[in-house]
Amino acid sequence: MTDQAATGRVAQLTDIWKSYGAVPVLKGVSLALQAGEVHALLGGNGAGKSSLMKIMSGVIPANSGAIEINGRPLTQASPAHAQELGLYLVPQEAHILPNQSVLENICLGLAASPRALRPRVEQLVAELAVSLDLDAQAAALEIAERQIVEILRGLVRDARVLILDEPTSALTPFETNALFQRVRKLQAQGVGIFFISHKLREIREICRTISVLRDGVIVLSGPLDSYSDAEIIDAMSRVQITEASGKDRTGRKVSQIGQPRLSVRGLSGEGFRNISLDVRAGEILGLAGVVGAGRTEFAETLFGLRPQTAGSVIFDGAEMKKRSPRICIDRGLVYLPEDRQQHGLFLEAPLFWNVSSYLVHRLPFFLRPGAERKVFETFRSSMGIKCTGPGQEARGLSGGNQQKVLLAKCLSARPKVLILDEPTRGVDVAARNDIYDLIRKLAAEGVAIILISSDFDEIEQLADLVEVMAFGQSGGELTDNISVDAIARLAFGASEARHA
Amino acid sequence: MLDLFARNRVATLIVVLAVAYAAIGAAAPGYLSGATASVVISNSLVLMLISLGTMIVILTRNIDVSSGSVLGLSAAVLGLSLNAGAGLPLAIVFCLMTGAAAGAFNGLMVAYLGIPSIVATLGTLGLYRGIMLVLTGGRWIEDLPQGLKALAGNLGFGFSALTVVVLLLVALAWYVLRKTRFGRYFYAVGDNRAAAHHLGVPVRRVQFTAFVATGLCAALAGLVFAAQIGFIPNQAGNGVELKAIAVNVLGGVSLLGGTGSVAGVFSAVIFITSIDSALVFLKIPAYWNDFIAGAILLSVLLLDGRIRQIIDRRIRARRYAVHERGPVPSDEKTTANTVEAGR
Repeated sequence: MTDQAATGRVAQLTDIWKSYGAVPVLKGVSLALQAGEVHALLGGNGAGKSSLMKIMSGVIPANSGAIEINGRPLTQASPAHAQELGLYLVPQEAHILPNQSVLENICLGLAASPRALRPRVEQLVAELAVSLDLDAQAAALEIAERQIVEILRGLVRDARVLILDEPTSALTPFETNALFQRVRKLQAQGVGIFFISHKLREIREICRTISVLRDGVIVLSGPLDSYSDAEIIDAMSRVQITEASGKDRTGRKVSQIGQPRLSVRGLSGEGFRNISLDVRAGEILGLAGVVGAGRTEFAETLFGLRPQTAGSVIFDGAEMKKRSPRICIDRGLVYLPEDRQQHGLFLEAPLFWNVSSYLVHRLPFFLRPGAERKVFETFRSSMGIKCTGPGQEARGLSGGNQQKVLLAKCLSARPKVLILDEPTRGVDVAARNDIYDLIRKLAAEGVAIILISSDFDEIEQLADLVEVMAFGQSGGELTDNISVDAIARLAFGASEARHA
Repeated sequence: MLDLFARNRVATLIVVLAVAYAAIGAAAPGYLSGATASVVISNSLVLMLISLGTMIVILTRNIDVSSGSVLGLSAAVLGLSLNAGAGLPLAIVFCLMTGAAAGAFNGLMVAYLGIPSIVATLGTLGLYRGIMLVLTGGRWIEDLPQGLKALAGNLGFGFSALTVVVLLLVALAWYVLRKTRFGRYFYAVGDNRAAAHHLGVPVRRVQFTAFVATGLCAALAGLVFAAQIGFIPNQAGNGVELKAIAVNVLGGVSLLGGTGSVAGVFSAVIFITSIDSALVFLKIPAYWNDFIAGAILLSVLLLDGRIRQIIDRRIRARRYAVHERGPVPSDEKTTANTVEAGR
């Protein structure tokens, strides 16, 4: 069986069509995946990528077309059926049962009991080189650990086809490397992998072939080596992405940076201690570090969501002793949270409610929805939010557009200091560039920005100065010569020593 | 110590119950006796069955408020078929089939037609009671045969045949929910429906089964009710569904689904029934019952909530303590703390 699998085609999609109501999202997509192939799948917002994945993994049915996995046809739209044929989708947002143990989470749905599967799961955990307590309750898992649980679910099911949907978006570089090693091992065993990612550098590192989806059709497909980054990005977004939107921070830097807006002195709290930093009007401060370095905890403490144990925060020249989200918003210190589904959006509410939600305490007692809609429309046109109208529910938007709505919400408070926590996570390349432009524009208008990101490329492109956090402490500061390498050295310095 | 209580509602209940028993025993000597235990157990049977059924549905993150009406309808079917001359075994089969059918209809609406369970079962709460009234013509069913009443008779040690059946059913429910794959599915569906679906759990079938099981439990409760009382009033089982939900909450079953144990529900039922019997013994007028039961329910929940808050705060403090202590924490330490946080 292995011989056969190691050479043959493990997945074949032929002429897949899908439409929601009258809107076609897939218009005749055909794809093939060989055993041992890591196939990058790219596409912008609304390109049909997630529909294609859902169809492949049996979550939704296609209108027409054929899917073969391991030479057997997928005959019914059920995830269990797809898994039985040997396909497992590792979703971007892990499906976790918070009240069950980690082991039960991994083994749920399998015929064998968790106890019987334990040795095998332990072996997989060891091979993946992660530390994961199988008996802990899953509710306590961090985002990165949840992702690992999902990957383990696929591995323990002996899948011959894995779909990894942005698997690294929440992993630390160390974990990413471990994952890539595991992917290479799987590749050697003849497993075919669809690898969905927006990070071209990662795709270059791990993938052999690439397909780009745009507006429901494959616009580019073939060996990865034969395409340049620019060609791939061009294929993805009809809008040409110019080099100019890459780096232009030097032009702005000298003239516009003004007086200090926010000074933090020796702040300590849950998960971090003794952090000091200053950010001035019109400046973008990159707050870099790996997942779990305490950056989000720091930001949440600034915003009054967590208690502080020591230190002081000086905002606009005056100390802010008592902080709550409401006080912070009123003074102009605004935080865009990391997890947009859980902490950011009101998913069932119309978009204009989402935007006006930040200032809901300032709205008149008798609401004026017309005015709120108008505010939304302004943001919609200035930020290029793609939606059917201000009344659409936030749930229906793609990741990039949801993020824009959240940004609009923050901007409606007219921030003086804006803390952005991973503003481009799970956002496609085109929308990401929109967000970068927006951040630069805000800085040029005099907003002080703290940009928290695990994507060091992003920090290098945007930040005027960089503060690195590692293990809850200050890991160093960069004021010039900001480069990915320099940031990485500070962020992992301790980490590499630890694992060596 | 605190951890034990936070993790285990059963322990909290048993301690509170023991203290209460000791206090009542001191105030009214003679309360703590085999006779009291026998009364408490036989008085708890109906509530036990309804609570057990309700628990299964709540585990799957649904709710069933129609159990009281299912009880009444099944009891009416039982009584009518007996009085029409059917044999006891056949009448019991009719009774249970009525419950299963009523549960299946609830399950059909919730699992397959996508109607929210609170709405669907509020509808059938009225509907099933209505069917019962139509069947009985609004009259009470009396003159039930001796054979039925004998089921509630004492077999020795204050146990009746029905008590044995109910205890066996409790044991069965415990075994299925704890020890079988299908039992695990109930927890999985209530914990995270999307994840369960994604991993191949037959979500709809599990939800449907939960409602059928609840219907069967309610029908059995109807049988117990008829056998114990000896007649079937129009309002048989009225309001018991809300009491069962309160019992579930008291027993540590999360209304959000995914957590809860048969042991917790069992202890909570005994707890609530004991209060009733103690009040009788202390010669407190019966109209105080609801007030006292409500007050005790709230006190236990408040106490429990406080304990949980204290524990959460401790876990948080411990989790972040590594950063206070100084240099770079080792991997082992971090993991150890995560483990404790998970408990």
